Amino acid sequence: MGGDMQVDKIAKLTKIVTIGLKTGRVTIKYPFGAPLVTESFRGAISIDNTKCWGCGACVLICPPNALSMKFEKDNIIIEYFKGRCIFCGMCADVCPANAISVTKEFELASTDLEDLKEYVIHRTSKCSICGKPIGPTSELRSVIKSQPVSEEYINLCSDCRKKLFAKAISIRFGAST
Amino acid sequence: MSLSSNLKAIENKIKDLGGFIETVSDNTVIVEITKDNLKEFAKWLYENNAFLKTCAGVDEREINSRFTLYHIFGLDEMGVDVVVKVSGSDKDYTPTISDIVPPAEWCELEARDMVGIRISGHEDKPKFILPQDWPENVYPLRKDFSYDYRPQSEFSKFDEELPKEVGLPIGPYHPILHEPEYFELYVEGEKVVDVFYRGFHVHRGIEKLAESPRFTYKTIPFLAERICGICGFVHSSCYVLTVEKAAKIEVPERAQFIRSIVLEIERIHSHLLWLGIAAHILGYDAGFMQLWRIREPVMVLAELLTGSRKTYGINIVGGVRRDIDESKKRKALEILRNVRDEFKKVVDVLVSVPEIVKRASGTGVLPKEDARKLSVVGPVARGSGLERDVRKNYPYFAYRYTSFKVPVYSEGDNLARTLVRIDEVFESISIVEQLLDALPKGPIAVESYEIPPFRKAVGAVEAPRGEDLHFIITGLGRPYRWRVRAPTYQNLPALKVMLRGAPLADAFLTIASIDPCFSCTDRAIVIHDIKSDSKKFVNLFYGRRYASR
Ligand code: SF4
Ligand code: SF4
Repeated sequence: MGGDMQVDKIAKLTKIVTIGLKTGRVTIKYPFGAPLVTESFRGAISIDNTKCWGCGACVLICPPNALSMKFEKDNIIIEYFKGRCIFCGMCADVCPANAISVTKEFELASTDLEDLKEYVIHRTSKCSICGKPIGPTSELRSVIKSQPVSEEYINLCSDCRKKLFAKAISIRFGAST
Repeated sequence: MSLSSNLKAIENKIKDLGGFIETVSDNTVIVEITKDNLKEFAKWLYENNAFLKTCAGVDEREINSRFTLYHIFGLDEMGVDVVVKVSGSDKDYTPTISDIVPPAEWCELEARDMVGIRISGHEDKPKFILPQDWPENVYPLRKDFSYDYRPQSEFSKFDEELPKEVGLPIGPYHPILHEPEYFELYVEGEKVVDVFYRGFHVHRGIEKLAESPRFTYKTIPFLAERICGICGFVHSSCYVLTVEKAAKIEVPERAQFIRSIVLEIERIHSHLLWLGIAAHILGYDAGFMQLWRIREPVMVLAELLTGSRKTYGINIVGGVRRDIDESKKRKALEILRNVRDEFKKVVDVLVSVPEIVKRASGTGVLPKEDARKLSVVGPVARGSGLERDVRKNYPYFAYRYTSFKVPVYSEGDNLARTLVRIDEVFESISIVEQLLDALPKGPIAVESYEIPPFRKAVGAVEAPRGEDLHFIITGLGRPYRWRVRAPTYQNLPALKVMLRGAPLADAFLTIASIDPCFSCTDRAIVIHDIKSDSKKFVNLFYGRRYASR
């Protein structure tokens, strides 16, 4: 009786061998096999620099600061650093120009840090009165396209715009120029 | 008892003690009480079957020039949270309630270290969360402490009570596994006589970071998801749940369903991971391999539904960011069917392997009374006969539309906790199937919402390891205070009970049985040689040999 139970037990234990044999090898010959990721996978992003306005919405939303914005002399540079990216795709969700697409790219290892960086460079427009930089030229162009604004104003920095506006108002109310 | 009659009782008691009820919402009551009556009220609550969930210190000087300590109790049977508020200046001492409510000790010490709330009864205790060389009177969670400020360490203060022989331990950071925790097991012969635990070595200041201008309500879910590498979705869910509760945001049903579905998928993968590791610890590597093989399709499923194997990134305040369409649903049901079949086969073998069953039964026992006293959560509570499950007690998301069993075992040993998890895998598979079948139509997120400042809310989500608790005071653009209490925080103190008096050889499995993250466990210990009264610092593996000589 006890012996039978013992036999049963051992028979049960050996089932793991059957399971193993039936399953066979499950590891795959990476990177030669079928794609490792599903259709939903979110990998690194890619910014289309012909579409990007340089508005900075993606920089503001990016949770880990993988996107940053630098101001350099005549340029505004948007830097994408894959090393910090968490592949959330929030930037693609907020981009008003649909310039960002989420790719399936995940094999990003590199020995050169620069390989992990991408840049979008925009020329900076300058205030036509005081010469202060006011924003990427392409953004101003898009703004004009979407809502007709007087060119006089769009080419001004906020300070000069205010001054000009105050002046216009005061003239209207009779102040001497 | 219904909330109204229960509320009456609380109201009466509070009136007796000269306190008052501040607010009552859905299932949260906030009461304010003077510090002299705190102890009595806490005692009354704890004796009336409340569990302590956690406490949170808050620097409220910007709101009302005070420092406040919130003790969060839960009346499981009624699904009501009772938040007890005591405030005062930074000179006032609030009495500890940890002599009556033992789980309060850790969070009180945390409030003392991080916010500088003075607590009488804890004056002599060394720093708990902060490193020992942290300067005195610098409190990182105060509002005037900038999130990027790094104070100079004061080495002169390093006059430690550590035994001289210890020197510098190797670790406590594990080179392979994550989440360092540090145990010292004091053994007499082969018997563990005492346990010392020191944690928080990798305290990342996430709560502080979330209060900083670096983050907003929109981006914090991604930060929350990184609190844990295994059950991160639990944290982002709990965060959005709490914010939505505070701001009274109605989340579309479809989003609620999707959240529940993904939460259960996370539980399945987490339990399979744990079961595999448990088998591995006990030397049954065939089981380990098979269990992890079964787990892989679950990871693929998570990616299919969310876009990522882990840190899914689909939770936002007001809904979710990824929908489940018909083809994904079909795929999911097929994967789950296979997982259930395969798991059944392997588990059948697993529970008949003598090295598993014998090593797990009767070891690491946590009696029900201790479990109750320590307010433990999750499979640790359910393995000790406590029927605690947030999904049932405080229903959230789509759980009220499903039927499932809460497995409870009364033995309180390592086997009981293992069996709880095995049963839960099957239950979770069934929950996902039910939810997928009943997935309602509609949007998956609200279009817009507003979050008024200085609202308070408590949110809880049942993580694979037990109740995860978030407490939020809303602020402008981001929470004013965000308190996170992960399940392991509540369960770790129970290890003292489980390990004391037990053979050292069982310590591995017992520490693992609460499903903490591991690195801590095979680190290093101090052997206290009672006879020669000397202490030696040795690696636990070596320690086993030393102890059995
Ligand atoms: S246009 Fe899109 S990609 Fe360019 S800066 Fe704005 S959000 Fe970023
Ligand atoms: S995918 Fe997320 S982390 Fe990466 S750049 Fe976009 S917003 Fe930042």
